[in-house]
Amino acid sequence: MTGGMHIDHYDWTGADGVGGREAMLRFSTGTPRVVLALPLFEEFNRTRAFGVTLLRALARRGIGGLLPDWPGTNESPVPSSDATLAMIQAAYQSVLVSCTPLFALGIRSGALFDARASVRGRWHLSPVSGTELARELARQTSDDGTISGNLVSSAFRAELGAASLGSARVVRFDSDPRDADLKLAGSPLWRRAEPGNDPALAEVLAADITHWVATCDG
Amino acid sequence: MIPEGKPTVEQTVRATLADILGLSVERAASFTATTPLFGALPELDSMAVASVLTELEDRLAIVIEDDEVDGDMLETFGALVAFAARKALV
Repeated sequence: MTGGMHIDHYDWTGADGVGGREAMLRFSTGTPRVVLALPLFEEFNRTRAFGVTLLRALARRGIGGLLPDWPGTNESPVPSSDATLAMIQAAYQSVLVSCTPLFALGIRSGALFDARASVRGRWHLSPVSGTELARELARQTSDDGTISGNLVSSAFRAELGAASLGSARVVRFDSDPRDADLKLAGSPLWRRAEPGNDPALAEVLAADITHWVATCDG
Repeated sequence: MIPEGKPTVEQTVRATLADILGLSVERAASFTATTPLFGALPELDSMAVASVLTELEDRLAIVIEDDEVDGDMLETFGALVAFAARKALV
């Protein structure tokens, strides 16, 4: 059984030579196959426990995974006000180079991070486009200009608004009328007023990801 | 005209409130047109209002402009359903 979780680190370098070191949770001791990107800002807090549950469920199915911090998120030494999408995308590529996971998993705005990454495949849960994200962030911005306590630069906002999604297997809930490769029952954890978890949903998604990875490998 | 098999606007508003505010099925089902919302439901703070509006936009494929958002549309369950229906059925 290799279902353990431990804390690791990775080093990243951006296009301008600036870089740093970020923490990364590693699930299972085997070679990682997937890297998971959670959404930004408030939705991060609402999906973190679920992301860990999902990666544990995958590890039990023999699929090792990584949950990296990105520059400017979670425990990152980079202040949120200095973060840019280019930094996060550069960090993403650094994770791939140092750990060679082959498949990208993205939830909501986390799906925007893997667009430039060289991966064998992408799997997105309720991905949000740059345009949709820009509207939501405008609505969530407080009078003091912060988004749920995060100071966000106008450069980062502009990058996010213009960002596009890479081609992926897309999973959405039945309640979402947009197109998807798989529709399933469930409710959007990232909009819940209180952070929650959904272990049953994590099992369903882990089964879908396991099948998808096997199909791609086939 | 709502195609057969699709949830009505009222069902969608009810499900959205339940999902976002973490209400039990029974509690959400008990909402009537006159059930007060904003100011009466402690779960419905300003952040939750933003989530409810954005989720309604997604589920009903509508766009809600910020200047359309006021206290009246959130006063009761009936007012929110009526607002969403006007947007969804045009």
